[in-house]
Parts: sequence; structure tokens; C-alpha cells
Amino acid sequence: MTLMSPHTAELLDAYRTELPQLEQLAEQASNLLHNALREQNIQLNAFEIRVKSEESLTGKLEKKGYKYRTIYDITDLVGIRVVTYYTDDVDKVAVITKQLFDIDWKNSVDKRKHQLNSFGYLSLHHICYLKKGPLRSIPFEIQMRTALQHVWSAIEHDIGYKGAVKLPPEFVRQFSRLAGMLEMADDEFSRLRTTMTEYRRQVQSLVKSGHFSEVSLSTESFRQFLELHPFDRLNQRIAAVNQAEIFPAPMMQYLSVFESFRFKDLGDVQKFMEENSEDAYQLALSQLAITDLDILSESIGLQNLCLVYVIKQGGGLYGLKAVYDIINGEQASNIALAESILHQAQQLPFMHKI
Amino acid sequence: MKTTFEEKDGKYIMHFEGRLDTAASVQTEQEMKVLHNCEGHDIILDCAQLEYISSSGLRLFLGLLKVAKAKGSKVCISGMNDNLRQVFAMTGFTHLFEFV
Repeated sequence: MTLMSPHTAELLDAYRTELPQLEQLAEQASNLLHNALREQNIQLNAFEIRVKSEESLTGKLEKKGYKYRTIYDITDLVGIRVVTYYTDDVDKVAVITKQLFDIDWKNSVDKRKHQLNSFGYLSLHHICYLKKGPLRSIPFEIQMRTALQHVWSAIEHDIGYKGAVKLPPEFVRQFSRLAGMLEMADDEFSRLRTTMTEYRRQVQSLVKSGHFSEVSLSTESFRQFLELHPFDRLNQRIAAVNQAEIFPAPMMQYLSVFESFRFKDLGDVQKFMEENSEDAYQLALSQLAITDLDILSESIGLQNLCLVYVIKQGGGLYGLKAVYDIINGEQASNIALAESILHQAQQLPFMHKI
Repeated sequence: MKTTFEEKDGKYIMHFEGRLDTAASVQTEQEMKVLHNCEGHDIILDCAQLEYISSSGLRLFLGLLKVAKAKGSKVCISGMNDNLRQVFAMTGFTHLFEFV
């Protein structure tokens, strides 16, 4: 058992007295920051708050208690960790903390700016104070890092290399390579996000302007296309058969159907609509007119378009089943549905032109 | 039209028997309300003895699906015959449910 120095004991006493204030500070500071990040729509991987435990503080004081004159010379008694997905967002969070809090620049570190002879993959730490209120003289620390920096830190902790005075050069090299790789991955993810945002804007503008053949078929472009409600006219025509209500339904699964048709761009989808709408209507009419069903899925037009297209392309029973397998998931009954559609279609005019 | 409810292996199961037409739908809607408290339970609609389903019946199933989805529960339809399956297919609702 080690004997505690009188100075350490004094600091620990002060900590116990101040603990309720520290807890209050943690709550106030984290609420302020969390709300601001939410308002700015910054996606977070994690947001953690902690007040340093007495056990952890004792360990710290035993090692370097001589450095601290008073309890508030210890700047991380209250800690907030913000883990973002993208490296650009770490900078955004940093700007937000500067707006919300007073920063003690002397004690804040941007550990991301490595020195050439160091290795590691580190985060940005700000030592902050509330701008107003009775707790404004108590420091707290905000750590900002990306998810990959967080992973590095966790593994670093697990391996326990931190603090090692000297490592053999081959290990230093191995750590440096990994740190470089993660830093590159972080940069690439950020770049990818920027590129994807730009791509979305382009797709949106091309789709809105009706230049469909210039837009490759993708999840994003199909989603944008669906926002134009391209199947509404056909749906309304089909709904009119029984004065039916149209019930909202997801249609993204039809992207896989289009991929199976080998459609390359939205121009192919547009052409497919133009060439098959009348026949799709006839197919739906032949089924619904003999019923009093007055509720239909929003995908009704698109479903009939796909079925008609397959029949006209000579896909037959198994082509129809393949469409049902995609939209319904593989089910034994899909073959019966395909048989029924094929049978129904025999009566329709387009079958005589095949 | 007759329904019976049971809870089995953590799942809420409702058995349907007869014709779920407009006339039966008001009573059935009341009976199906027990399924709306489905937090933490997946739902099975056993339609093996269901002979007919009208638009009103479809609306009940769709309404339940909406509630269950919001509570994180799955809705499966079991034992439905091919004729009734056709009703779901021709109205475009097959892909909203899981058929077992």
C-alpha cells in the first residue's frame, strides 16, 4: 500500500466537495453542445460525457499530483467526447465549441498536427469554460475525433504502447504505417462524401430538367425519379376502374427489377413507361374490373408495367416469376401468381402482336 | 367471420375463419385491436381458414401493418390460399407483407 501525499489528499478532498458542481457542469456543457450539434445537423458516431471518477483521479494525482496547485488546475475533471464520422466534421465541431464556450488556448491541443518524428493518430482537445453562470470558472475538456481516430485510440489503449519510452524501430514503423493508412482512409471518406453530395446535386438537376438519358440508373437517381411521381398518371387511370384509394408503398425494390431488365439509365425507364403504359393499364383493368377492390398500392402501375414488359419480351412464366421473386421475395406462391398473370394476359390485345 | 387470438413463443397470433367482408370488418377491427399492443412481439395473421377478403379487410391488414411497423414488429401472413394471395397481388400489396 502506497502512502498518499498530504497534497494529493487535499486535492481529493476538494474534488469530493466540488463533485456536485462538476456533475452540474457536465450536464450544462453537454446539453449546450449536443443541442448546437443537432441544430447544425452534424451526424455523430458517439457523444460521451463523464466526470472523472475518484479512482481515476487518485491514479493521476499519484503520478503527477505535484503539477497541480488546486483542483481546477486539472482540466479534464469533466470530459465530453464527440466522435464524428468525417474529418471535416471535427473541424465544424471545433468551430461550434469556439462559439459556445471560452477556450483556454494555452492548454488546448490539436494533436492531429503530428510532428514528423512522432506516430499515432490523434484527436483535437479543447479546454473550455462556460461563457456565463456560476460554473464559468471550472474548466472542462472537449475531445473531438473521427470514428477512425476513436478506433485508433481504443486499440492503442488495448495494446498499451502509449507511454512506452522506447519501442524497437520495426514497431514504430508498423504503427506509423497504420496511422498513415487510417488518416488516408479518413481523408478518402470525406472526399467521397463531397463527391457523393456533388453527384446527388447533378442527378437532381438532370432529373428535374428531364434529361433522363444522361442519368445512369442508381439508387440515388431512381429515388430522385420517384420524387417526380412518374407513375401517378397510370396509377390514377387504374384506380379509376373501381374508384380506388391509392395507398402509399415503397417502390425502391423495382430498381432491382430494372437492373434485371438491363436498363442502364433513366431514359430506358422513361421509354419503358411510354411503350408499356397502355398495356399495363389493360392488364390491371382485366384483373380489377371483375372485382370491387377499391384500395390499391402506389406501386400498382409500376408492377403492371414490369409484368407486361416481361411478357412482351418473351420472358414467359419464369420471367414473371423472377419479377415476383424480386418484388415479393422468393416465395413458393410466386409461380402461381405468374401463371395467373400469364393466363390473364392471353385475352389482351398486346398478346396478339407478340 | 370468427377470429381467435393467442400468444405463442412470444408471437401474437390471430386466426381468421370465414369471410372478411365489409359487414364483418367492423367487428373484426375491434377484435384486431389486441394486436396493436405489439411492442416486442411479431404478429402472425393465420389465414388458413379465411375464405374471402374484401377491400375493408385489406384496410384492416394495412392499418395493422402501419401500427406494427412503428413499434418495430413484423407482420406475417400464414396459410393464405392462392385465391386470396391473388387479391394481394392484383392490388400490389404482396410486397408489404411477409407470407409464410
